[in-house]
Amino acid sequence: MTETSVTTDPAAAPSVASNEPIIAIDDLSFSYDLGKTNTLRNISLEIPAGKVTAFIGPSGCGKSTLLRCLNRMNDLVDTAKVTTGRISILGQDINAPDVEAIELRKHVGMVFQKYNPFPKSIYENVAYGLRVQGIKNKGILDQAVEESLQKAALWGEVKDRLDSSALGLSGGQQQRLCIARTIAVKPRIVLMDEPCSALDPIATARIEELIAELQEDFTIVIVTHNMQQATRVSDRTAFFYLGELIEYDETQIIFGNPSIKQTEDYVSGRFG
Amino acid sequence: MAHILKNYDDDLSALKDSVVEMGTQALAAMEKAIKGLSTNDVELCYDVIDEDERIDQQEKKIDEQGMSILLRFNPVASDLRHVLSSINICRSLERIGDHAVNIAKRARKILKAGELEEVRLIDPLVLEARKIVSGALTAFSDVDEQLAHKVIEMDRAVDKIHKALSKSLSNKISGGAQPTESLLNVIFISRSLERIGDLAVNIAEDIVFITSAEDIRHT
Repeated sequence: MTETSVTTDPAAAPSVASNEPIIAIDDLSFSYDLGKTNTLRNISLEIPAGKVTAFIGPSGCGKSTLLRCLNRMNDLVDTAKVTTGRISILGQDINAPDVEAIELRKHVGMVFQKYNPFPKSIYENVAYGLRVQGIKNKGILDQAVEESLQKAALWGEVKDRLDSSALGLSGGQQQRLCIARTIAVKPRIVLMDEPCSALDPIATARIEELIAELQEDFTIVIVTHNMQQATRVSDRTAFFYLGELIEYDETQIIFGNPSIKQTEDYVSGRFG
Repeated sequence: MAHILKNYDDDLSALKDSVVEMGTQALAAMEKAIKGLSTNDVELCYDVIDEDERIDQQEKKIDEQGMSILLRFNPVASDLRHVLSSINICRSLERIGDHAVNIAKRARKILKAGELEEVRLIDPLVLEARKIVSGALTAFSDVDEQLAHKVIEMDRAVDKIHKALSKSLSNKISGGAQPTESLLNVIFISRSLERIGDLAVNIAEDIVFITSAEDIRHT
């Protein structure tokens, strides 16, 4: 991505040193009803590169809405609108008229709460994004599929059945396959919307371990209702309530000694 | 504000009650040992030695309560600090109980050897030790950070009196005062009271950690 346009080649996007802001949200307000009511109000925060940032807060606080703003998933809602402020990713205003949402999503991938593999083979699920980009060379595709499955800690389990249907995998495996599919196109940022909420504790632990490994190559933003998970996987945590950002700090501080009483009340189970 | 889970509140509150109870037991043991010495009542000294088992058992109970809360409720923020500090504080209280036993044993020996005028020299130190321990316990019970800081300051007086007393008694021994063993036992009692002051400071530091999340030990 450059200051003026979004490149189609994520590898060509400018690099950001680890810990430097890769996402800058400035005074963002967002509405689902064309500005009559703001679901998000005056949110400002910077998300560092190469780190895991968790969004926490009670249902309806706006954390998933904000996550979806980061790759413009809310464009799918006709009446959705950014009413004030801006979101910059790699220095580019992502809501600028010349930025295509599809191009943006090459840089900002997303993993959803409910794993959603395509009804295709394991191989085709991972290769899908690359094929959409026009890559046809089998050698390149094979390499990308293997690399992505290895990064998603799934290669060992599926390497002998790449042509089998993805729907035959267990829930935890399907979610890791979706992660492999997301990272195959080499995004800079991976958004995760409660990626473990439909998984058992073992599969959850595998995904959490995977998040720690992916952190080396990607910036991760995760929405989670599981606060223990936020403490385990994230470097920084943002607490939202009723559409406002209440507190944003290092995870150790948010769960160890938050500055704002509302945060402490929430993380210690006093309201929610 | 109360937790959504009532059991969580009940368990945290029970943990605090147990620490306060243990503090009362440790302070009472110290008082009883000193009273045994000052009233020539050797039975009180034996009571302190026998009753130390209760304090030890209370320490184990607090450990179990703390571990159960950590296991079941995954406390965070001030709740986590409260649980960790409660476990630390009960460690300090157990050692105050041990020093009370040491005082009782030394007192028993002094009483057996016959009346000793110098016993009265420890009165100012006893007064300060009582103040500092009860101050620490009140600060914990009321979650009073200001009082905790005062407790830390109070330890200076305890140290000063102990130092002066030890020096004075050592001089007496050097000068040939008798019985040497009893005078030495008074010095050991003085040292136990000084250590009790240090343990009250440890408790106060834990209270500051609960209230402000600041670790002021060794600063």
